[in-house]
Amino acid sequence: MKLFVFSDSPDIMKQMLTYLREKGEITAATTSGDADIGKFGASVLYRLKGNHMPDSVARTVAGLVRKENYDAMFFGSTVLGREVAGFVSEDMGLTSVTEIVDLRFEGNRAVTKRFFLGGKTVLEEESQAKVFTVMPGITDPQEAGSASKEQEVQEEASALSLVEVQPKKAGTVDIEKAQIIVAVGRGLGKKEGLQQIEPFAQKINGVVAGSRPVCLDYQWLTEDRQVGLSGKKVKPKLYIALGISGRSST
Amino acid sequence: MPYSIVVLIKQIPDIDQLRTDPNTGEPQMQNLPLRTENLSKNAIEAAVQIKEKYGGKVTGIIFGREQSTASMKEAYAMGVDDGIIVTGYQRSEPSVTARVLAEKIKQVPPHDLIILGNQSADSYTGMLPGRLSRILGIPLVGNAVKIECSSDQVKVTRATEEGNMVVQGKVPLIISVAQEINTPRLPAVLQIMAAGGRKPIRTEAAQNLSYPDVRVISNRAPKSERKRIIYEDMGKAVPEIVKVIKEAMR
Repeated sequence: MKLFVFSDSPDIMKQMLTYLREKGEITAATTSGDADIGKFGASVLYRLKGNHMPDSVARTVAGLVRKENYDAMFFGSTVLGREVAGFVSEDMGLTSVTEIVDLRFEGNRAVTKRFFLGGKTVLEEESQAKVFTVMPGITDPQEAGSASKEQEVQEEASALSLVEVQPKKAGTVDIEKAQIIVAVGRGLGKKEGLQQIEPFAQKINGVVAGSRPVCLDYQWLTEDRQVGLSGKKVKPKLYIALGISGRSST
Repeated sequence: MPYSIVVLIKQIPDIDQLRTDPNTGEPQMQNLPLRTENLSKNAIEAAVQIKEKYGGKVTGIIFGREQSTASMKEAYAMGVDDGIIVTGYQRSEPSVTARVLAEKIKQVPPHDLIILGNQSADSYTGMLPGRLSRILGIPLVGNAVKIECSSDQVKVTRATEEGNMVVQGKVPLIISVAQEINTPRLPAVLQIMAAGGRKPIRTEAAQNLSYPDVRVISNRAPKSERKRIIYEDMGKAVPEIVKVIKEAMR
């Protein structure tokens, strides 16, 4: 099988390449400058050069996938990845299955699993979809033995202009990468309860995260710390939930 | 300058009230109330705020069912001027939804801004903005946390996994919004009821829908692999928990 893989996130890219390289020959494309992406088993790796405006990345990727007859195309589920996947699906007139956490091919049909109804169910489907968005964490990344043939591709002209890039503020945490998370829910009772949680989290090298009500409704914590389906997808070694019912919601 | 804005609204089953069958794990969808999707409310709020500041008109479009009038009345009460409901929605299928909405958008020209939620809380596909961008040939700026208008130039702050990107473009633009962009106003129930009486809602049936061949194998609550160990004796619990934490800290 000939597969195409795109992600702007080096982490999801490495996970997807590890997961997919057994299933076929991979051509990959990325806007990331991460030097190691070429070690994960793609035969060809296109490096997109430009401002990474959504419209130009979408058209550039659509152009790349039209060059070959791919059996399936995979996009890491990020803000940009979903935009490009939607654009490419429509451009090629293809069915898409999104946010997959599991995949196998049966002949020319794909059997996929994804979370549905706000995460309350897992939907297993069989389809002729050829475009997939892939949830972060589909597998642990492992380098392959060989290096990708790398090629730079200039992004097509954009109708948009880049005014400014504002990197994440100092002090913002990346809970997606955290190994230990102490997550709090509304069972904490009041914001002051965090004063007891923070020293504990610090002591065990963990970061504090919160449920949707805590981050969004009560704003005890900033939204970059929100876990769950409408927040960040996390995969720590240890997750301590305090005052969270565990009933799935958004 | 006054802006002509289309806001795309989704009505979803109230997944917070959704239960799954304890035996089969299947979702109990019968009699589940419908509600306006959260990010649609952020989209409506963003559109109405632009109208209030610069003048113009906001047209709401729902691809839904007969019952979607409830969501449109709510949108009216929030400040939407005009509403169209296209009935015939059967299931989450971005290719169908995109086509139905794009067709309707083309019928209400001119539009400077098309605003919608970035990902909906029930199905989470995130495919619609990219697909619409391709069909309509209008550039997309997604996951907006801030929109600033200055005549025909619109500056959008877009939140990505790496930080914020401030992007500028000329209307028309498609803008998908993130939950951080605003706090949607809460119209009083009486206002919602009155809104429906004052202004008509146009309802039309979708024509020639062609859903792709996707077969559902199963749709069930994920199996919990939790060990569910409960310690009633504090003296036994503490050493065990300390062991787990120390293991993770290694």
